[in-house]
This record gives sequence, C-alpha cells and structure tokens, in this order.
Amino acid sequence: MARVLSRGDKLFGLIIGLWLAGATVAVFLLPPVVNLGYKARMLFFHIPMAWIAVVTFFMGAWWAFRYLRTRSLDRFYLSSLSNRIGLVFSFLATVSGIIYSKMTWYSEAPWTFWTWDVRQTTIFILLLIYTAYVVLGFSIENEETRATISSVYSLFSFATVPFLVFIIPRLYFSVHPDLTDNEGGLGSGLGFNMIIVLVIALVGITAFYVWMLRYGAAHRRSQIAELARIDAEEGSTRNGEESE
Amino acid sequence: MQRKPLLFPDALKSVWAVLRKDALSELRSKYAFSTLAVFALTCLSAISMSIAGGDLTPLVQSVLLWVILFFSAMAGLGRVFVQEQDAGTLLMLKVYAPPQAVYFGKVIFNVLVLLCLSLLVLLLFIMFFGMAVTDWVVLIGALWLGSAGLSVVATMTAAMAAQVQGRSTLFTILTFPIILPEFLTAIETTRGILAGETVAASQFLFLGGYTLVALIVGSILFDYLWVE
Repeated sequence: MARVLSRGDKLFGLIIGLWLAGATVAVFLLPPVVNLGYKARMLFFHIPMAWIAVVTFFMGAWWAFRYLRTRSLDRFYLSSLSNRIGLVFSFLATVSGIIYSKMTWYSEAPWTFWTWDVRQTTIFILLLIYTAYVVLGFSIENEETRATISSVYSLFSFATVPFLVFIIPRLYFSVHPDLTDNEGGLGSGLGFNMIIVLVIALVGITAFYVWMLRYGAAHRRSQIAELARIDAEEGSTRNGEESE
Repeated sequence: MQRKPLLFPDALKSVWAVLRKDALSELRSKYAFSTLAVFALTCLSAISMSIAGGDLTPLVQSVLLWVILFFSAMAGLGRVFVQEQDAGTLLMLKVYAPPQAVYFGKVIFNVLVLLCLSLLVLLLFIMFFGMAVTDWVVLIGALWLGSAGLSVVATMTAAMAAQVQGRSTLFTILTFPIILPEFLTAIETTRGILAGETVAASQFLFLGGYTLVALIVGSILFDYLWVE
C-alpha cells in the first residue's frame, strides 16, 4: 500500500483535496437564496453527487463494452471500479436528496420522508441494479467468468437507463425540478455566484473521480507486481532445490 | 464460429429446433409449467384465504396479480439454462447450436410458458378475488405484453445466473431491478383497466418498447455470454 501512488498522483490528490475543501467553504460563504434560504446549500452537495453517479455508470458501461470487445481484464477492473464508485455516490445523492426534500417539500408532514416520487423511484432502481451487480461479482470465483457475466449484466441493465431518465419522468408528475427546464427549473433560481460555486464543485468532484480511478489502477498494478514477485521467488527457490 | 444473419431459413430452422427440443422435454417432464402453476396457486390461495372474501381495490388486485406472476416466473423460468447445466448438455448445445438460435429458442419457450401461466392466474383471480373484467382484449393485451417482457429479461438473467453458485436467489436479485420499470407500468396499466378507465396508448407503447429493447440488447449481448 505504501508506495502505490506516484509523486504526480500524490500532488494531484492534494490539489483536489484543497480544491474540494475550498468549494465547501465557498458554499457556506454564499448568501441565502430567495424562497430557499440556507437550505439551498444542500444543492451544492446533491447535484455533484448525482452528476458523478451518472458519469460513473456511463463510464462503467463503456468499459464493460470495451472488456467484451477486447477481453482485457484491466478494462473490466476499471468498469467494476467505476460502477462501485457510482453506487456509493448514488447512495450519497439519495441521502442528500432525502434531507433536502425533508427540509422543503415534506416539511409540513412530520413523518413523511419518502413518497415514491418519480426521481426517488428511478434512483432506487439504480441502487438495486448496481447492488445486484456488486453481489453478482462476489458470487463468482473465476475471474474471467466474473468479468464476462458482470460486464453483460452491466450493459443489459444500462439499456434501462433511457427509460428511467427520459421516458418515465415525462409520464408522471414529480416534485423534483426538471434539469432541462429553464423556466422555474434549476437555472432560474440561482444567482451568478452560485452557478460559479456549482461549476467549481462539479469540476472538483469529477477530478476526484479520475483520481480514484488512477489510485485503483495503481493499486491493482502494485498487487499484480507483488504476486509476480512472489511467484518468481518461489520459482527460483524451487529451481534451486531441484538443482541441489 | 460462423454466424449467419437470423433471417436465413437455416437460422429459423435452428431456432425451431431449440424451441422444439425444450417444448418436447417440457411435455415429457411437465416440470416447468407444473412448478409455476402450483407455485402461483400456493401464493394466491395464501393471500385469498387470509383475506377471505374481503373487498380489494383495483390497485391491490393489480399489485397482487403482478407480484404473483413475478415470483412464479422466478420459480420456473430459470430452468431453461439450469437444466442444461445440470444434465451436462450445455456443452453440446454450445457446440451444435448457433448462439442466436439458443437465445431466441429459449426466449420464445419462456414467453409461451409465461403467457399460458398468466391466463391461468387471471382465471384464478377472477374466481377467488371476484375481479370484474369488462374489456377482455385490453386486459389480456396488457397482461401478455408485461409477461413477454418479464420472460425476455428473465431468460437473459437466467443465462447469467446458471453459471453461478446460489443461482436461484441470485436469479431473482438480478431480474427484479431490470424488470422494475416495466413491472410498475404493467401494474399501473392493469389497475387502470380494472378500474374501467381508458388507458393511455403510451403505456402500451412503453410496455412493448421495453420488451423490444430488452429483446434486442439481450440478443446482442448473448453472444458474449455464450461463447467464451
């Protein structure tokens, strides 16, 4: 574990840490928003998390596709890592969404936390899919079988995404603001300063995702090297015994 | 392996061969359908007895209908691949049949089984829950579209789960999230029909579109799953 990261990656990680810390401080320096007050602070955590969940699942599906084409386990490793990161971030997006909706839409009803609003349903389906994906990975021993079946499952379930993102939200009413709607949607309520902070947060969290992938890949490389070293040592001692 | 486009008569013939093989072995053993039917009957009587003639709203009827259909499907549809694995005929099938023929043969078989089962469950519902049906064509149409989607997805996940330990549990875990969007729409559509509302065409379009997308994506991915 100790020398997994190169110096450049360590520096990159430090910069991202400072950048995200700066973004967090900036969120708390912003003035209150009309109608929402300080509750709007949650948006600066909720939106980047949801964004990263979308990016990770997309990249996870892309690398799963690349794995099936090339059968290179490195691609599968990236796909699986990306999907697992996505699961964590969509969980965080769900939790922050629950807190935000509790403060705003459900603030009148003391015991309402979850109403199976369209967005809640679709994120719940995503959580189920990627939890099943992780469980599937646990239950297969052989690495190549696991890679193949997991990649196929990842792509097969990714086919539901257009239905979840584009079709279902248009069939039902939702309390969640529509991201593509400019009137009364996301863009209208936020001032210029807030957009800037939001963009800073989005850039920071995306860089953090890239850094996590690099860390994971470096960790895997060092593990493979370690295994190869142990193999080589065992081989040489065995050869030595045989020659004696 | 040389793969021919599916529209060639040869390919149709091999699809038919796989389907015929599965249908014959089913007719001899009667295992899959009897398991599904008895399982559905068990669930249904468990609910019906506990309620004992209580009045159910269209929503509850529709939810129960689809939940029973889903779990019956999970009890029986996995068999098309599990049985090949257990009997040791999987390798033979891999050698002699083109992957697309296996895929479409198994899908069609499962779809047919679930269509029959859904009719049976519908009859039992009418009998035990006093479900009032006014528009048979629309109701059976919704039931069959939803069941076809469920079978298509379940066939694909069965092919994945067959290669895994603890497959029956995993089969359900894998299938449920993928079928959920269609499942929820089917429940909503069935509720509307039972309540006597006019159901929007977009819901049928959704059910059909989802089934079709699952069929096509499954067909593309099956090659990677089958040929290792």
